[in-house]
Amino acid sequence: MKTRLQKLKHYFPLSLRGWIVYVAAMGLASLVCELLRQVSTSDVHVPLIFILVVLVVSLMTDGYFYGLLAALTSVFTVNVAFTFPYMKMDFSVYGYPLTFLTMAAVGLAVCTLATRVKEQEQLRLESEREKVRANLMRAVSHDLRTPLTSISGSISAVMEGNLAPEQQRELLEGAQQDADWLCRMVENLLSVTRIGDTATAGLHKQEEAVEEVLGAAVLAFRKRNPAVEVSVSAPEEPLFLPMDPVLIQQVLQNLMDNAVIHGQHTTQIRVRAERGRDAACLSVADNGCGIDRHLLEHLFDGQLPASGPSADTTRGLGIGLAVCRTIVEAHGGQIQARNLPHGGAEFHFSLPLGEREHDDS
Amino acid sequence: MTIRDKILVVEDEKSISSFIRAILISNGYDVIVAHSGSEAFSMISSHCPDLVVLDLGLPDIDGMDIISSVRQWTQLPILVVSARSHEKDKVEALDRGADDYITKPFGAAELLARVRVAIRHTRLGIGGEGGASSGKFSAGDLLIDYDKHQVLIAGENAHLTQNEYRIVALLGKCAGKVLTYDFIMKELWGPQSKGSNQILRVNMANIRRKIEKNPAEPQYIFTEVGVGYRMIEGD
Repeated sequence: MKTRLQKLKHYFPLSLRGWIVYVAAMGLASLVCELLRQVSTSDVHVPLIFILVVLVVSLMTDGYFYGLLAALTSVFTVNVAFTFPYMKMDFSVYGYPLTFLTMAAVGLAVCTLATRVKEQEQLRLESEREKVRANLMRAVSHDLRTPLTSISGSISAVMEGNLAPEQQRELLEGAQQDADWLCRMVENLLSVTRIGDTATAGLHKQEEAVEEVLGAAVLAFRKRNPAVEVSVSAPEEPLFLPMDPVLIQQVLQNLMDNAVIHGQHTTQIRVRAERGRDAACLSVADNGCGIDRHLLEHLFDGQLPASGPSADTTRGLGIGLAVCRTIVEAHGGQIQARNLPHGGAEFHFSLPLGEREHDDS
Repeated sequence: MTIRDKILVVEDEKSISSFIRAILISNGYDVIVAHSGSEAFSMISSHCPDLVVLDLGLPDIDGMDIISSVRQWTQLPILVVSARSHEKDKVEALDRGADDYITKPFGAAELLARVRVAIRHTRLGIGGEGGASSGKFSAGDLLIDYDKHQVLIAGENAHLTQNEYRIVALLGKCAGKVLTYDFIMKELWGPQSKGSNQILRVNMANIRRKIEKNPAEPQYIFTEVGVGYRMIEGD
């Protein structure tokens, strides 16, 4: 019983928007017909105009209900108001029944088509999402293989035992770097699943002070990269934004790590948050080598061309930035990258401001 | 011969427990290892370790339950090992009485630092119930004067409000330890303070503007994202 009701609701959903569209379209059509009647005696155009109404209503509303309603009322309106005999219901005049039947049929057909197109759109979106996920998986598997090979190789070389101490140390340091990199990638992937898990209920957002997230991300970064100079600035007025703080911290960390790993000679990073009119802007700028112009376009797709300056420098850029984009967009923001005029790259992303009164966390 | 601190490592993954053990032993601790929750229980009562390093994901008993039942009879410090993305676990572990947590993956230096802090805390009796409410706490230019109810920055009064002072004083008493948002809320606004911790976050933003040079680059009070706040270790 319940499922039948749900099915009914699926095909015949009622909404305020639907009613408004329906009433507006019918009203407009009647008005146009009335005006046309003043200037011309022929009423051939009337059924055509009302078929147009059925088409518009079907396209602009969900489900079959409003389209069918429009078809039905059109048939009656045309019959009663705009064709001979005026202001009288009469289906008996020769040829009329056929005309009205055709009109109803056109209405139904358009409705069905429109609904089907909408469903197709939905399917297309889903398959798109599936494709993004598959691309990510491919990028991941590819990116994970290299460091794993190096770790496993380095360790087996050390265990052979014929190496000088400094050689051993070098190999182990390399293995540790690769392992750390793997850890970060895995954290990134976990973040994506975290978004996926909560997708139905929305992100676990809470009003957070931007400076806290900025401070924590920078602190963690400094521990890992003591040689890089980092400057941080947050608005003087405390700025609270609805966000999942762990994920936003991850975005900042990815951007800072990238600045070091891919900037090649980065010595300074500037992290800042500013308040805009209806969104906050967070940015990470570095003084490294900047971003290759060919890469700039596909930076956030998760599918970078492997034929970059060297395949190794682009390693990991794909996953990290794709994850950043996923996180930022899940928050309703946007992420962009550009090269700075005096060298280096800048990544900036926006986070919509919340309404302070609405926080219930 | 000196008496060495004894640490119980509760971890079911052999590879992880063996590297934790190696780090701790090479730094002068006695280490015993338990691979399951039940083993951990019997070892805690028979060996009386000075610290427990506890992984939350054990095969037989939920790590949270271990914390709760150990806390019923001893204040023995517990250091929880947790994954980054599970900040809810961290909060729950701390609220159930764990002393600190360390996030996977961690290096030797970080592990040793946390272990030292946790052991020292219980030695000095701070962080436990009824900690010192008089005396002074200082870290760098920050000085908390518990007798005068004042916080000074480089000798200057920071002019904290009543609530702001109470938050800083609480963090200072448990310096080095993470205090969860909930814990601070309950200490300041009573056990009825449920739900929003927004009032605490706003107070903290104001505190930062009074005691830190750059609010986005704190020197004294650090944010553990999604978990709570931590005051820097005192001098």
